[in-house]
Amino acid sequence: MKKLMLSSAVVALLVLSGCSSKDVAVDETANSKAQEVQEVAPVQTETLTATESNVMQENATNSSDSNELNMANAEKEMLSIYFDFDKFQIRPDMKEKVSTDAAVAKGAASAFVIKLEGNCDEWGSDEYNFALGLKRAESVKKALVAEGVDANRITMVSYGESNPTCSDKTQECWSKNRRVDFKLLP
Amino acid sequence: MKFLMSILFVATFLFSSDATIEVVKKVDSLPTLALEDASIHTDNLLKMKFFKMLVADMNVISLFNVDRHYRNNEFDSFKVLNENNSMNYVLRYNIYEDDSKNLNVSVKLIQDNKTTMIKNYKISNSAIYMFVSHAIAYDINEFMGEKSVEWMKKKVIFSRIVGNQKSELVIADYTLSYQHTIISGGFNVFPKWADKNQQAFYYTSLDGNKPVLKYVDTQTGRVETLLSSDGMLICSDVSEDGKELLLTMAPSGQPDVYLYNVLSKKYQRLTKYGGIDVNGQFMGKDKIVFISERLGYPNVFSKNLVTNEVEQMVYYGNSNSSCSVNGEYIVYKARESSNSFSNNTFNLHLISTKTDFIRRLTATGINEFPRFSKDGDAILFIKNYKSQSSIGIIRLNHNKNYLFPLSYGRVQSMDW
Repeated sequence: MKKLMLSSAVVALLVLSGCSSKDVAVDETANSKAQEVQEVAPVQTETLTATESNVMQENATNSSDSNELNMANAEKEMLSIYFDFDKFQIRPDMKEKVSTDAAVAKGAASAFVIKLEGNCDEWGSDEYNFALGLKRAESVKKALVAEGVDANRITMVSYGESNPTCSDKTQECWSKNRRVDFKLLP
Repeated sequence: MKFLMSILFVATFLFSSDATIEVVKKVDSLPTLALEDASIHTDNLLKMKFFKMLVADMNVISLFNVDRHYRNNEFDSFKVLNENNSMNYVLRYNIYEDDSKNLNVSVKLIQDNKTTMIKNYKISNSAIYMFVSHAIAYDINEFMGEKSVEWMKKKVIFSRIVGNQKSELVIADYTLSYQHTIISGGFNVFPKWADKNQQAFYYTSLDGNKPVLKYVDTQTGRVETLLSSDGMLICSDVSEDGKELLLTMAPSGQPDVYLYNVLSKKYQRLTKYGGIDVNGQFMGKDKIVFISERLGYPNVFSKNLVTNEVEQMVYYGNSNSSCSVNGEYIVYKARESSNSFSNNTFNLHLISTKTDFIRRLTATGINEFPRFSKDGDAILFIKNYKSQSSIGIIRLNHNKNYLFPLSYGRVQSMDW
């Protein structure tokens, strides 16, 4: 869960603004503007999905227990797809793995949503890298759809370079980080 | 957390005779300045940290050749120290605590044994001493009649990776020596200040199944969810008036630049190429600059929103994967070696849309996250070189880069 440490931040920011009288005036206008926006904008909580999943766990019956076990087992059968440097096209040597993944998706994992997680190596840590991770996930999605997996069952997210499996500074290590992982969702 | 401060000078190259990026002062010809500590305060650690910060700040304003010797004198002494007799200026200061435990700093600027400027500063918490140092440098710069360094008082917000899929959002001063974690315990990336006042910010939360764009008001603590998108969702830029955002979004798996209206909450797709379009930046009212791989590698392009004309902006660099825009200027990151791995150099370059000049701003290592100050006077960036990460500040008009080593964690993204 997230923790907002705002109280101390507010104190710190107020103290800082104390350095000059101009800043104090700016504080006040910004505050009144923020309140105006608050009346208009709908405020949503950020814990919706976590709450949902908690409720499911609380109400879990034996069948959903076994459902989770099935999901975990099917997830283990799905193989990560690796990519070349700065590329998002699926390599020929990865096509067999994609076929395996498609078979699992249509078989043991057929009851679940498939989340594709795109990842990159550390060469680049900007928006472009996130987009590269996403395009990798999209390539895998297209390949799965071509093998008969329903596109509506697939969601994608990119973690850029923020989710490495290997942190050494070697070519081998970097190549392990340029990948798409599979996660199953109920 | 202790933050050790040191300053490195990195020579940069100048290829341009463009007026706004011309070197206006040479190091040799700068007047000399020495500091004299006249503090009554008994905390020697604080006194030394303050001295180092003040040396750093006085260097960054780029008006003086700053002497780095730590020396003590009486605050009311009529004469500067013998060692400082040859100095053009002496900056004498006294740090002391008052009865209410506030930290006070009195400052005198002395020229030819005459006091030319006196100022007093007060803060309630000695942990934010660096802001007093920045304020002193700001005031001296004003006193010397130079162009404002308002950016010295601005805050930096950045995300720091602390583990796999774990990050913190941190608010800091421009040297990152003051750091306050404002959001921890999730996977939150790409923070962006919501307006010039820096009292609210946007960021992307990656904790759920889909990326979500959120808004945080630091004054009230209110957190608002704006929208979510499959694949990726990043706030790349905020318009001058704070009413429009440029987002990188991929509702159907296709990363493109979108324009989002904060008031109507409606968005509009601006780029339509089938590959990667990201990192949109406002350039005036009718133009955006963005990164696209439409030529097979990442490069900087612009799009006129009235005529829909797309133009390649940069013709130098193998892989130019991020940029920041101020007025007619674009600073971008270029990969300068063809090696996929080992000894890769990523340097920052500056171009003007009105000339053909390219000015290289950094010389070594991996330099990334270039961010213009609002007035375009300075560029903040991160340098990774020989397993050391630093935050750098480039003074464009003074042809100087200053680096402040970072203590821990890896910066994922930052805004200034």
